[in-house]
Amino acid sequence: MLRSFSFRRFILAGMAGAALAVGAGCDKDEVKKPETDPSTTVFDDFAKRVDGYMKIRKSIVDSVGELDPTKSQAEITARSTALADGIMAARAEAKQGDIFTTEFAALVATLIKEEYKRRSISVQETRSDQQDELPDFKPAVNQLYPTTYPLATFPATLLPLLPTLPEQLEYRVVQHYLVLRDVEANVILDYMPNAVPMT
Amino acid sequence: MRSLLMAGIVATFGTTAIAAQQMTLPRKSGSVRFLVLGDAGTGDREQYETANQMLRYGRLFPFTFAIMLGDNLYGSERPQDFERKFMRPYRALLEGDVEFHAALGNHDDPNQRYFKPFNLGGNRYRTFKKGNVRFFVIDSNYLDPAQMEWLEKELSQSGSDWKIAYFHHPLYTTARRGPEVELRAMLEPLFVKYGVDVVFTGHEHIYERLNPQKGIYHFTVGGAAKLRKGDTRQSPIIAARYDRDRSFLLAEIAGDSLYFQAVSRRGAVVDKGVIGRREVRPAVAAGASSTAGVPAKP
Repeated sequence: MLRSFSFRRFILAGMAGAALAVGAGCDKDEVKKPETDPSTTVFDDFAKRVDGYMKIRKSIVDSVGELDPTKSQAEITARSTALADGIMAARAEAKQGDIFTTEFAALVATLIKEEYKRRSISVQETRSDQQDELPDFKPAVNQLYPTTYPLATFPATLLPLLPTLPEQLEYRVVQHYLVLRDVEANVILDYMPNAVPMT
Repeated sequence: MRSLLMAGIVATFGTTAIAAQQMTLPRKSGSVRFLVLGDAGTGDREQYETANQMLRYGRLFPFTFAIMLGDNLYGSERPQDFERKFMRPYRALLEGDVEFHAALGNHDDPNQRYFKPFNLGGNRYRTFKKGNVRFFVIDSNYLDPAQMEWLEKELSQSGSDWKIAYFHHPLYTTARRGPEVELRAMLEPLFVKYGVDVVFTGHEHIYERLNPQKGIYHFTVGGAAKLRKGDTRQSPIIAARYDRDRSFLLAEIAGDSLYFQAVSRRGAVVDKGVIGRREVRPAVAAGASSTAGVPAKP
């Protein structure tokens, strides 16, 4: 099950509180905290969508089998391909935004931008120095992540702010896109543009 | 044709013995001996030539396992790529029962964790013990909260004398792409809190040994096949560096001492020394406990 993190909630609550303060134009004492965490509904909906995908995935895994450590790379490749084919067939109608909904994308993009703003100059410069190895392609739903590109290291300080995923899935950054990827199948499940500031 | 060429390289280099004086490690009875290599999986001539030096040194210094610091395979990862970029260059070591314990790099498909010779056991991160040494294999590509939780639990429960962490991205380096400071912010506090002694990383295609940072020795050993010639810089944090050719590291842990020797593709010793375990190390200035024979060179 997906989990939320207190730090993320703290940031979101702070952002929501600030928005209320600005919108009401009232003094500090009159600011009321939102009664519910504004992220809850959006993240709960995201969790349901991920759970829905995992049910589809499980049915495919039941037919292609689990992958255990094996000496044979051929077996690993064959199983990965079969899983990818099954996922793409089962989600042939999937489109961008099915999992990363508009509401989720807006919330997460704000979280990411806030996190980037807090970064020190040295962190920003270091990330900039590492751009030479970052993948450069436009992601698409049901696309295999091109193996010609390395998997860009995910910013370690960003992950705790995002909803935790089942271990079979992961977030990745491709240019300004945030990508949701099935790890074993190497299939891009969804993506959101303009999620990550370009440094 | 390519296979014949590589076989020729093995035949040419693999049979030549190294001079005894090139071996500086003490080879003490009962010691933990291992090979450190990073960024190895190109399948190119340079990988094979460097692998042959590992084999030659392995005859004088019989290590029982190797730690791989990621980028185990560059480019495509078809079955024939695993053969050309891993099995064939290291076949003599594998047949000599040398275990390879891989970490994942940014060029590695995470499905490598299922490839049995890499000993990841289906996991992106893991820990294993050799003698009095506990190794922590970290996936620095994707340091999610679950991995951080696992790492803290494992570090806190480890009663081993030595704690060694290894992963792909360097927390400190002078190489052009620079250190992964976000990773450092996450990992270093745990390493300090739980007494990690040494960190091995790759990613940068050079060799570097740093003066202790917050009490931890850092080695960058990312030149087992690729090279960024002249990529290191003179810096107060550097104890030794080598960026003129490919390289790897041999290490031996005996009691409270870790002896090391870095070797180039041509078989030259480019760094050597001994460091003490953190808990028994005197509280002195950075680098004071090292007796490395090769100073940092511009």
